[in-house]
Amino acid sequence: MTTRSTYRSTATPKRKNQGFSRRAFLGSIGASAALAPFIPMLESQADEGVGPKRLVLLFSPNGTLHERWAPTGTADDFQLGEILAPLEDYKDQMIVLDGLEVIRQGLGDGHQKGMACLWTGNQLNAGDFGGGNGGSAGWAGAASIDQAIADAIGGETAYRSLEFGVQNGGPTNWSRMIYGGSDSPIAAENSPEAMFDRLFADLGVDTTALDQLKAERRSVLDLVHNDLAALEAKYSSSDKAKISAHLEAIRAIERRNDLATPTCESPEQDYEFNFDANENFPAVSRLMIDQMVMSLACDLTRVASLQWSRSVSQTEFNWVGAGRHHDLSHLGDEDGEMISQVTAINRWYSEEVKYLLDAMAAVPEGDGTMLDNSIVVWGNELSRGNSHGNRPVPFVTFGGGCGALQTGRHLTFDNEPHNRMLVALAQAMDVDMQTFGNNDPGSGGLAGLFS
Amino acid sequence: MRRRWIKQTGVVGLMSLTACYSGLGDSLGENAGGDAGLDDGDDDGDDGDDGNEGGEDPAQLCSDSDIGATSLRRLTASQYKHTIGDLLGLDGDYAAGFAADERAGAFKSNGSASVGELQVEQYLDAAESVALDATADLDTLLSCDGALGDPCAEDFLADFAQRAFRRPLTPVEFAGVVAVYRTGKDASEGSVQDGLRVAISAVLQSPYFLYHVEFGVPGEADSRVALDGYELASRLSYFLWDSMPDGALFEAVATGSLEDVEGISAEVERMLASPKAKETVASFHEQWLGVDELETSEKNAELFPEYDVALAASMRADVAAFANWVISEQDGRLETLLTANVTLSEDPQLLALYGVELPPGHVSGTPIELPAGERAGLLTMAGVMAKHAHPDATSPILRGVMLRQDILCTQLPPPPPEVDNVPPSPDPNATTREQFAQHTADPACAGCHQLIDPLGFAMESYDAIGAFRTTENGKPIDNSGEVIGADISGTFNGGVELSALLTDSASVQQCVSRQWFRYALGRIESPDDACAIEGIHEAFEAADFDVRVLLRAIVLSSAFRFRKGAV
Repeated sequence: MTTRSTYRSTATPKRKNQGFSRRAFLGSIGASAALAPFIPMLESQADEGVGPKRLVLLFSPNGTLHERWAPTGTADDFQLGEILAPLEDYKDQMIVLDGLEVIRQGLGDGHQKGMACLWTGNQLNAGDFGGGNGGSAGWAGAASIDQAIADAIGGETAYRSLEFGVQNGGPTNWSRMIYGGSDSPIAAENSPEAMFDRLFADLGVDTTALDQLKAERRSVLDLVHNDLAALEAKYSSSDKAKISAHLEAIRAIERRNDLATPTCESPEQDYEFNFDANENFPAVSRLMIDQMVMSLACDLTRVASLQWSRSVSQTEFNWVGAGRHHDLSHLGDEDGEMISQVTAINRWYSEEVKYLLDAMAAVPEGDGTMLDNSIVVWGNELSRGNSHGNRPVPFVTFGGGCGALQTGRHLTFDNEPHNRMLVALAQAMDVDMQTFGNNDPGSGGLAGLFS
Repeated sequence: MRRRWIKQTGVVGLMSLTACYSGLGDSLGENAGGDAGLDDGDDDGDDGDDGNEGGEDPAQLCSDSDIGATSLRRLTASQYKHTIGDLLGLDGDYAAGFAADERAGAFKSNGSASVGELQVEQYLDAAESVALDATADLDTLLSCDGALGDPCAEDFLADFAQRAFRRPLTPVEFAGVVAVYRTGKDASEGSVQDGLRVAISAVLQSPYFLYHVEFGVPGEADSRVALDGYELASRLSYFLWDSMPDGALFEAVATGSLEDVEGISAEVERMLASPKAKETVASFHEQWLGVDELETSEKNAELFPEYDVALAASMRADVAAFANWVISEQDGRLETLLTANVTLSEDPQLLALYGVELPPGHVSGTPIELPAGERAGLLTMAGVMAKHAHPDATSPILRGVMLRQDILCTQLPPPPPEVDNVPPSPDPNATTREQFAQHTADPACAGCHQLIDPLGFAMESYDAIGAFRTTENGKPIDNSGEVIGADISGTFNGGVELSALLTDSASVQQCVSRQWFRYALGRIESPDDACAIEGIHEAFEAADFDVRVLLRAIVLSSAFRFRKGAV
């Protein structure tokens, strides 16, 4: 395997909302926002002793190398492998889940099913994406676990959930992992600038102008709501679900429009680059992590996810001396260059997870930190790239979820369906659930996670 | 219908290729697109039957047949952009921040998935920006005889809203728009400008603007419901213009002239003659051949220093301009699309890649002849070759798969899951062909790859950015190829000879019919569309494969003028 040279980005130097930006819009109607540097704050919650409980899902693609990922030692006394080594500081906050199987049934190739089943635990619908195995696969057939949890707890915050993405690619079942329901993939925002505008542009705007804007939006949303409700009543076919989903989104935006603007200061960031260019993958990752932590710290949401690339990712990791990820991951185990480069790639993802955990641990809440009050789960669509396997898929959790989880452990399982981990996550988030997804009719949450 | 009608025509020849065929059978059995292939093997002398003799309505020929279901679709980003342009005269790309469009096959259509909060917020942001820009200068937006007041503003809104919804509003719907106007006006001390801004924003977020809402004429049988005149006008304009209907089309609805074949045909002719039809011809060919996202393809800067985003954009524009030249200024025939040895590009960088210069006295919009024997129409264009290649090397497999799947409409199974399908790293001592020949010598792979690779090898004369070459790493290029398992067969040399062969392939001709059908309807064809597609293809064939006739035949078909069942 030769080391490939650097590819020149051929995309435009900066891709953004060329027609407009929300900040420009606010400025033009007379509202002006004062941007301030990022100051982690959530003082009201901090005073209460225990912050709100959050769930964060993380995804990195193309499998791992189990022999370099798995810890050695016992459940309570273990040593991290090379790939997870960057997370040494968080050993007492983690649970390594070794030996889970992501059950795959029905339509789709390994990547498609791995991606769609990862958080839904459910089969894919038929559709137009190809993918073999006796038919052509479509979108996932049910909601993902974070959305099921958001259904239960999302009403507490401005956003029921937020989806952050780094170069996820176009809308296909190879590139979407979060689902609001059957045939309802939820796209992550991939533009740090657009995400910033969405979350923070309204903050700090002078209240008179903002009040006027909210009144206008209330009236606009009312009309849209009425049109959608009228349409929904007319439809009875499968298209009805599309109208209902749109109406659901309008309701969420209406609710947010009626909330008081959070007291929260926005991070100041530089977006003067093309967020789609391979070379900017690390920079976009950091910007998205910063914004995600800020949105959690400000209690804009309690359910978030961050998706790095997509299944069959071809991110070229020249910053760690590695080539295109999917190509590499396919090479045989005898290929020493594959082993070292795939290790380097997965270690890089561990570094990004550490950056996230550092930021969460830097937000004080009560006697501890935001990390203590959160559950972060890191998964993958495959066990290993060159086998496209579904067991053991590498999962690690971080944070105690306000004491729900007993952390600092390395648990091994004998191909336990990962659906049970999803159930356990819901239970740890105080959502009453006994089964999740149609890939595992079993019952109850994964044993051994809880305090 | 006289034509013999069999299933899976495109793959009959593959039956002996056991390894690949078993996969194909599985794949096609479930695939909606699989059953609608047309057999064109007979030669019953019916050339000249365009399926519409004596004013017969093609939709009536399929009156006892089902049609496939068209699901509720949202405007694509480019439809949104064009519609805002036609509605309000604004040329900004207000859809630039939208989440990427979903595709049906190769074509953007937004018909398979629901929207979430993120996308709905994007619609909100875009609508607010459009409304702000539209009302920045009221003198250009509306003309009020006398004072600017409610009557004038409401007259504007009445016209605006029905053009935005592409149909007349009910009184209740219009009262809703006026109520938003009043609220917006009252919230800012009686400003008509602000009232209009808020009302425009609301209309642009309504589902009647954002979706292609089609109920059909009430009271018809459930299996097949005729679209009403406004719905048909919208299908026509979004198909042929990638945008909303114009005033003349709305007028045609109002006068009832869209109710018969003559009236519809007249509108098709008018619309195809409009410059706006170039948008559709460009979109179809860019998406079909994969060059619509060429600007995001990265190439190795050391090997290809001349390749940058500007050149990629020129390559994409080259495909669009060439297709438009053939369809609107030449004979519009498939053969011309696949054989003409010219470019319409005026970009010196791209012309240099093609080995020509802008001729002295060149008139913009006229074709420039390319070096003899090097190129033949769409399939050998630089952009198409660059798109179907790796950053640092050509890919006979990517090119072969493109020719099989997109040009011959053969459904190929994915490689077995455990296979090592990593392309070989460039080897300075061997040609790409030599490396791939070794790579696919494995009998387990040969079943499918004998269908794919020999087509791709013929394209080895074009490097990874589409430049013509005769040597690679000091060795001569071997561009000999062979086509098997299709209705054409035999050996040939290079992309020019291959294109000539493909031109005469019934599979290719039928594939073009099907691809345009998918583009027009925003969905993959289903077995229920068989009768409609058969009629469409007969018209295309009878016209010696003139694409303009194909487009008219699609519009006149039952699949285009009806919807399946109730909503």
